[in-house]
Amino acid sequence: MTDKKKLGLNKKDSNDDMINLVDNLNRDDDMKFNRRAFLKTAVGTSIALGLATVPFSVRAMLGMAEEEFERTEIAKTADVPKGSSVTFKYPTDNDPALLIHTKNGDWLAYNSACPHLMCPVFYEPEKEELVCPCHKGYFDLHSGQPMAGPPQRELPLIEIDISNGVVYAIGRKVRHG
Amino acid sequence: MGKKICWGIIFITIAINVVMLQWTIEAYLGLEYEKIYGYTIVGVVSAIIAFITFLKWRKLEYTSE
Repeated sequence: MTDKKKLGLNKKDSNDDMINLVDNLNRDDDMKFNRRAFLKTAVGTSIALGLATVPFSVRAMLGMAEEEFERTEIAKTADVPKGSSVTFKYPTDNDPALLIHTKNGDWLAYNSACPHLMCPVFYEPEKEELVCPCHKGYFDLHSGQPMAGPPQRELPLIEIDISNGVVYAIGRKVRHG
Repeated sequence: MGKKICWGIIFITIAINVVMLQWTIEAYLGLEYEKIYGYTIVGVVSAIIAFITFLKWRKLEYTSE
């Protein structure tokens, strides 16, 4: 029988700190979270981001048919005095819109769902501006472009035609100006 | 092509794909369907480049010991 005690795995018969450098408590993490794993994750991220654009193209292909717009009566001009507005739906019942008769006598129409979080946008006659009260989003009255607040996109423009004292919606431009 | 260049290319593809995804969503919300296809093509090509670059890096990384 020898007096030698059985040594553990990777243990040397010494108490020198520089010998027994095997107690890496983070060994498992070091195997998982390292330079190589980082790059593999980066590649996966890049591929995932690139492929994430594909469903939008597929949806675009499926809905590629041009929007067809009907000529729809909105209101009679006599019912909308200067400095007032009326709401309507165009081109579908899911698209709320706003017909505005400005103080200057201009007629304007926009879809009124705020591009930020779809709250209804209102016409403010005193300041002649379009306001989304939910998060204080402001739009230019004459262009529908966002002026202040969280909205990043313009309000879709409803094309209108006025004939025989009646205002008609005849089309829509989502991107304009 | 060295390993560092591979790293650079992969990170550039990430940047490109982030921008392409953002532009794609903007075009989709604006019903600008014709633009979406271009962005998707760039995004997918960029993803393929990232993958090919990864294969190249792997070859260099695991055989240069």
